Amino acid sequence: MKLYKKEGNVLQILSFPNETVEKGDYLLVEDAEAGRGLIVQVIDAQFASIPGVLEELLRSLPDGGELIQGEDVDPLEIAPHITYIQDASLLICKIRASIENENLSPTSSWLPSRSQSTIKKLPLPALLKLAKIDGKLPIVLGGTKDSSLLAIDASSLDGRLNIITGKKETGKSHLSKLLMVNLIGYKATVVVFDLNGEYLSLGMTGDGKRNAYYDKIHVLTPSQNFKLALKQLNLHVLLGILVHALHLPGTSAREFRRIWQALKERDALTLHELGETIRNWNCNQHVRDALFSRYHALVNSGFFTDNVAEATLLEDCLLKAKEEGSGIIINLRNTSAIDRQIVVEYVLGKLVDSLTSWKLKAVFLFAEEAHLYLRETYWDDIVTRMRHFGIFTTFITNQPDTIRENIYRQADNIFLFNFTNEHDLDVVSRAARVDAETVRSIARDLPPHHCLVLGRVVRDFPMVAKVKALDVKTMGETRLFFKDSN
Amino acid sequence: MHSLKPVQTQPFQLNQQNFQQINGFEESTQAFRLRLEPIPLKPMRQESIVAAVDTSTIKIGETSQGIVIAVRGADVWKQNRAYRYVRLGPFVFHITDENKKEVYDALERSYFNYSQEHNHQGAPNFLQMPSRIASLLERWMQTMLSKTMNKGLILFDGSLTSGTPDTPTQRLKDILSTARRRGNIVLAFSKMTNLRVNGHVITDLLPRAAPPYLLETEGLRLKPPMVLLGDVYVARLTTGNCAFRLDIDKEVLPEIRIEATEKLLGNDLLSQSYPETLRLAHILCTFTANEVLAMQHFVTRRYGLQIVNRPDMHRLLFGPFGKGESYS
Repeated sequence: MKLYKKEGNVLQILSFPNETVEKGDYLLVEDAEAGRGLIVQVIDAQFASIPGVLEELLRSLPDGGELIQGEDVDPLEIAPHITYIQDASLLICKIRASIENENLSPTSSWLPSRSQSTIKKLPLPALLKLAKIDGKLPIVLGGTKDSSLLAIDASSLDGRLNIITGKKETGKSHLSKLLMVNLIGYKATVVVFDLNGEYLSLGMTGDGKRNAYYDKIHVLTPSQNFKLALKQLNLHVLLGILVHALHLPGTSAREFRRIWQALKERDALTLHELGETIRNWNCNQHVRDALFSRYHALVNSGFFTDNVAEATLLEDCLLKAKEEGSGIIINLRNTSAIDRQIVVEYVLGKLVDSLTSWKLKAVFLFAEEAHLYLRETYWDDIVTRMRHFGIFTTFITNQPDTIRENIYRQADNIFLFNFTNEHDLDVVSRAARVDAETVRSIARDLPPHHCLVLGRVVRDFPMVAKVKALDVKTMGETRLFFKDSN
Repeated sequence: MHSLKPVQTQPFQLNQQNFQQINGFEESTQAFRLRLEPIPLKPMRQESIVAAVDTSTIKIGETSQGIVIAVRGADVWKQNRAYRYVRLGPFVFHITDENKKEVYDALERSYFNYSQEHNHQGAPNFLQMPSRIASLLERWMQTMLSKTMNKGLILFDGSLTSGTPDTPTQRLKDILSTARRRGNIVLAFSKMTNLRVNGHVITDLLPRAAPPYLLETEGLRLKPPMVLLGDVYVARLTTGNCAFRLDIDKEVLPEIRIEATEKLLGNDLLSQSYPETLRLAHILCTFTANEVLAMQHFVTRRYGLQIVNRPDMHRLLFGPFGKGESYS
């Protein structure tokens, strides 16, 4: 390989056919005389612009596109040299760091010698060692192309905002499960908004047996094993549901506050009493109607009960999780959009409560397709305010444009699976921790289950790994009509 | 690098020569005339093999002792409506003042079995060596075609002028007679000609007649030792303004010459009055820039030759006004 050109932080390297370098590989450009080097990553491989190649191709197709048949008598065997030159490729590389005495710095201002520099492949294990991508809490994501393992440190997810995105069926949920079980393994509290019931069997192996996480996975299905008694609720949590999930106007909310206080004073915080009180409350008819419609929404959700014994306290689950770590799966499958918002509003409100009062240290929140249940104002809340409370969110989506641009800008880690759509790639490339060319070039060619890891977890050295298999029961499979006939 | 200069700036053919006789020696005399009555041609579909030969040479670099050149030849023939080719080479030679005679004699002996005494021309001068070696290869390939084909049309690139340093008369006579013996007709197309009538190049003097047709010439006399072994025509074979000088073996009867041209029309594609077979031969033997790079790679790897990087004096002296050295 030979250094050809440098423009900004892009290095162009000429590579010959016997040097097998692919997109995503790291190269070390060493200038022995200067005692320095550059660590670059191949983001694209192109044909080198060899003069005369067009003529070469054209003359082999002179007869209306049909190859002319013939024989080449080449006693000096020059043809392999021609092929060698023709097949030379130009590697477009991004400078990731410069290295001096095994110390990395993110600068690319230094220019190595074009004639004296040596270029060699930098194996991923060596890069991981140089970049100190290890730690005490390793999470093995999977294997890299050169058969080494890519392990990130769980602490690099701590206090961070993460995004897992990619096309359908590329392995996003699989990776989120992998992260989840590893975090649980390190005694972290993980809450999942499970839209499609994919995480329900996280405690089971593929063949339906209990796995190591069985006792740590708690599945809460609203209106089944996850119900609330009004008595257990704080007014501001319920108001949050009414205002944000059910869009109760401010005036009506004020009346509701009075009703709630009245019921609380009478120790009559039940659904039945609430309904009766609204019916008999002395207020404007429009306000009453508004309150009644929300009341019926609460009742119809099935999420609320008057039977305290039947009610499950999320707080209890969270407290249990605090000691040993656990995963609380909020099963939102088969839940209507309104009910989903009620549940999410409650869970988030409760989490903030518990974190504010230091009942919980921190929570890792995994949110699948969050745009389907997260209200507008929560997006900013999650990346700014809630992060300070200790809610560290991982968004999982196959529609990257449903996540706001400011989320991408503030994302600390991005786990990117294959995307072919330019628009999707454009959206993801707005992330602050990554350059657009890397995203566009590498993500487009990622095979299924291969993930481009970007951000702090890899110390800003984008790496591709094949996400390792996880022995958990697969759920959330698409229901198929022709399944049996295949 | 001196020899890579044209490669870097694309028009690398500046240094490349597809061997063709340069007829700078031919001068039309007062007696030379072009008959402007066209001989109309009718494509003759009777199946005939059409074959063509062309060679090319290029300087691929300079060493401290001399130059490194490459030569390649291509035979192309059309048979059963399909084009086929055999390409010989590239053959790479390191030519120095010391070895030029030895190289040339060795090639001449191996191609034509001529002893050194037979070779009156002697070794060419240093700068002529590339074209002379290409000429040797071309004549040998023409000889082989004339010996192996039957009742076909053999297309030469250039004229049938002999007695030049490149083309000894006897050698061309032998090729033509061998071809005739096997029922082949040699048609030699020149892309350029210096032959003029009343100051006009003969290929510019086209009558208003519908092509295809031939125009006959008469009275062309060459200065000794040059001998013209063909009769010269102007061939306008397709619509458009292109016409070429066409030399046809003198020993062939005039009606057979016309018939051969008509067979060419019926058996080969013609574009801008030029036969496709000959065009392909030219294309296939021409060196592309990446082949030059490959051959440079080959000589440095295989033989460890150090190619000298000479400054381009034109560029050095005249900057953007220096258009690069021409190979002459």
